[in-house]
Amino acid sequence: MIQRRVFGTVFTLESAVAAFVFLVVLALVCHAVVRRRAGRQPTPSDRPQRPVLEKYYVGVLAAFAAFLVAWTAWQNHEEHRPPNRTPVRVDVMGFQWCWKFGYPQSPAKVSVTGTCRGKDLPTLVVPTGRPVELRLTSNDVIHSLWVPDLRYKMDAFPDHVNTFTLTLDHEGRWRGRCAEFCGERHYAMDFWIKAVSPEEYDRYLHGQPIGTGTGTAT
Amino acid sequence: MTVASPAAGTEDTGGRPVVPGGWLGWVTSTDHKRIGLLTIGTSLVIFLLMGVLALLMRSQLAQPDLHVVDPATFSQLFTIHGSGMIYMVLTPFAVGMGTYLVPLQIGAPGIAAPRLTLLGYWLYVLGAVLMLSGFATPQGAHAGGWFSYPPLADKVHSPGLGSDLWIAGVLLATTGVIIMGWTVLWTVLRRRARGMTMLRLPVFCWSMIASCLMVIGAFPALLAALALLAVGRADASVFTSNTWNIGYQHLFWFYGHPVVYVMFFPYLAAVAEVLAVFSGRRFFGYKGTALSLLVFAALSMSVWGHHMFATGQATNDYYSLTSIALLVPAGVEYFGMIGTILGGRIRLRTPMLFALAFIPQFLIGGLTGIMVGTPVIDYHVTDSYFVVAHLHYVLFAGSAFGLFAAVYYWTPKVTGAMLSERLGRLHFWLLVVGTNLTFLPMFALGYQGMPRRVATYASFDGFAWLNLLASIGAGFLAVGIGVFVVNVLWTLRKVALGRSGNAGDDPWQAHTLEWATSSPPPRFNFAADRSLPPITSFAPLLDLRERRASGAAVGAEQEGASGS
Ligand code: HEM
Ligand SMILES: [Cu+2]
Repeated sequence: MIQRRVFGTVFTLESAVAAFVFLVVLALVCHAVVRRRAGRQPTPSDRPQRPVLEKYYVGVLAAFAAFLVAWTAWQNHEEHRPPNRTPVRVDVMGFQWCWKFGYPQSPAKVSVTGTCRGKDLPTLVVPTGRPVELRLTSNDVIHSLWVPDLRYKMDAFPDHVNTFTLTLDHEGRWRGRCAEFCGERHYAMDFWIKAVSPEEYDRYLHGQPIGTGTGTAT
Repeated sequence: MTVASPAAGTEDTGGRPVVPGGWLGWVTSTDHKRIGLLTIGTSLVIFLLMGVLALLMRSQLAQPDLHVVDPATFSQLFTIHGSGMIYMVLTPFAVGMGTYLVPLQIGAPGIAAPRLTLLGYWLYVLGAVLMLSGFATPQGAHAGGWFSYPPLADKVHSPGLGSDLWIAGVLLATTGVIIMGWTVLWTVLRRRARGMTMLRLPVFCWSMIASCLMVIGAFPALLAALALLAVGRADASVFTSNTWNIGYQHLFWFYGHPVVYVMFFPYLAAVAEVLAVFSGRRFFGYKGTALSLLVFAALSMSVWGHHMFATGQATNDYYSLTSIALLVPAGVEYFGMIGTILGGRIRLRTPMLFALAFIPQFLIGGLTGIMVGTPVIDYHVTDSYFVVAHLHYVLFAGSAFGLFAAVYYWTPKVTGAMLSERLGRLHFWLLVVGTNLTFLPMFALGYQGMPRRVATYASFDGFAWLNLLASIGAGFLAVGIGVFVVNVLWTLRKVALGRSGNAGDDPWQAHTLEWATSSPPPRFNFAADRSLPPITSFAPLLDLRERRASGAAVGAEQEGASGS
């Protein structure tokens, strides 16, 4: 689950930096409010600016920005490196208001859909340990396929196919949702994504149903 | 040096018998102060209405599976709430402040092209009325979200009249704002009093220059996007093509990101003025701040694609670069604000409380903005409640706090009466508690997987208690805003009854020229028999006080010689 790992690394670093900056600024504000209150009779500074200090400060900011841009772009490319094995292909179609998952390479031409009402959610079945290429499209408005536990989403446009590749490293079942507002039942446009062993996946492609079970991501 | 009123002959009502004090006198006035106040007043009223819509949404989301309104209505609520707050509240309020304050701050007797400014105001009002009237149509108001992507917003998927009214309304209101932006910019460039060089402009005027440049440069893209939407509603085949769907997004966000800074700079600058005045010193790092506003405005036109990282159809590396680069000018502005208070002598009056809270609260919006500007983070959190939290920290915890700082600060100038300090403090604390209680949990909700724009959620999603916290926070906000409304109405009533007790020309010991005239200022801003103080810097009144103080000291040494 490269997406989850990359997200975790970058999010942790940026959160830590953000928390640090926030605390420093908060401390400065509190310091000013406590120490420079009129009641304590401080003399207001008449120094209108500190250009040298400001120049260094801008230099630090720019250097940090440059680092952040380069490092996160590199992480982004890591995340989207083409897989080293030919991926399994699944065609995903969003529609108002549910999903359809087609397996073009399966002998039985398996295709799954549902109504997204009550418990009738379609399940996207994928094998563990093998790259899976999702080909996303839509037949009406824009939707977006989001698997929160995977920390990734991608939009599904009509008249356009978006692809992304994911590899799930262990078996389990996770919730997926539509993230792009698509009309009245957008809130209910959920699905399951289920990773099964390659053998079970093979049987599935031949038209056999799979057992159910839930899991948690790591 | 006295500024004559060259436009006196052309700016009055031309001898027509319009009673200046009557309502007709107000709505046809070419006095920039009245146009500014009309704009501000109108947007505050809409602000309250949009707040009511937010409360409805928060009550529905307080617990899982609630159905206060049906999902179709819920979509109308967030669409009109978001559209209203952006197109009809924070943007016009910002330009309205510019209309009122810029001529005063630069020592001018009026605004350039006052009739055009008035036209701009009326277009804005008409647009707001049109958009809101969608609620009165059979299928209700528009329900496509504030950015209304096609094909969802086309005629096939949004057949209602409300959608047409939304397009027309937003188009008119934005046209009005563009016109007002032009006149404010023209005023600040061409109508400055003698001695008011560009580098003596108050920070607020600089923020209006940067904002108006963005209004002029970027807002027409919204008009184009809306026109495209209108064409697509007439001809359904347009939005069957991906080119136009993604093209709309590019056009929209070319407007959509700069508008965020139009809803930010004027409030930031109001905060800057308040920080300086209540720190008893001139604003620290003035040149850096003015320059950073311009850099910010220029960069803002190159970042739009960061709203489209998840479309798979944008150059993510490039937009991430420009977006993250924004932290440099933003950091410079923080340098100025923090430096000002660190060397100050702080008086904690109500405007100052709001200005101080702006600093850390807006910072949360800014720091999370860097996060969503990072593609690998944005893939997860875009279109989730994380973004809802981020945008409300920017616009509510930030800009709206700046707005309130501005209202408390400039009310004595505008009305001649002070707002109640006690109610102001109550308002402030309720708002601080409410804001953070409402919007902080939303970061966690988005992280956990709650999509934005959902009418409800299931109990097993595990979103219940964070949503409950957010809704309780909304209750605090409602009470806080209620206190504010009482405060304003009460003060206005005292003014109307003549029982307000005059606040004086300069109750705060402020720095800029608007405080060198009476409260409220006369028709042409500076009475002919009262000379403007010499404009020696961007804080001429502070200079004057300093000169008087040193003069007085010298005078005292010379025994009895008068310092003035
Ligand atoms: C200056 C004040 C505010 C501004 C500028 C503002 C702006 C926005 C915008 C632009 C949206 C997105 C609409 C869309 O997705 O199309 C939104 C949604 C929302 N706002 Fe506000 N808002 C403000 C104040 C508030 C307040 C005070 C509350 C809470 C009491 C609130 C609660 C909400 C809620 C619940 C949503 C819907 C989120 C969703 O379903 O995705 N807003 N707001
Ligand atoms: Cu959808």
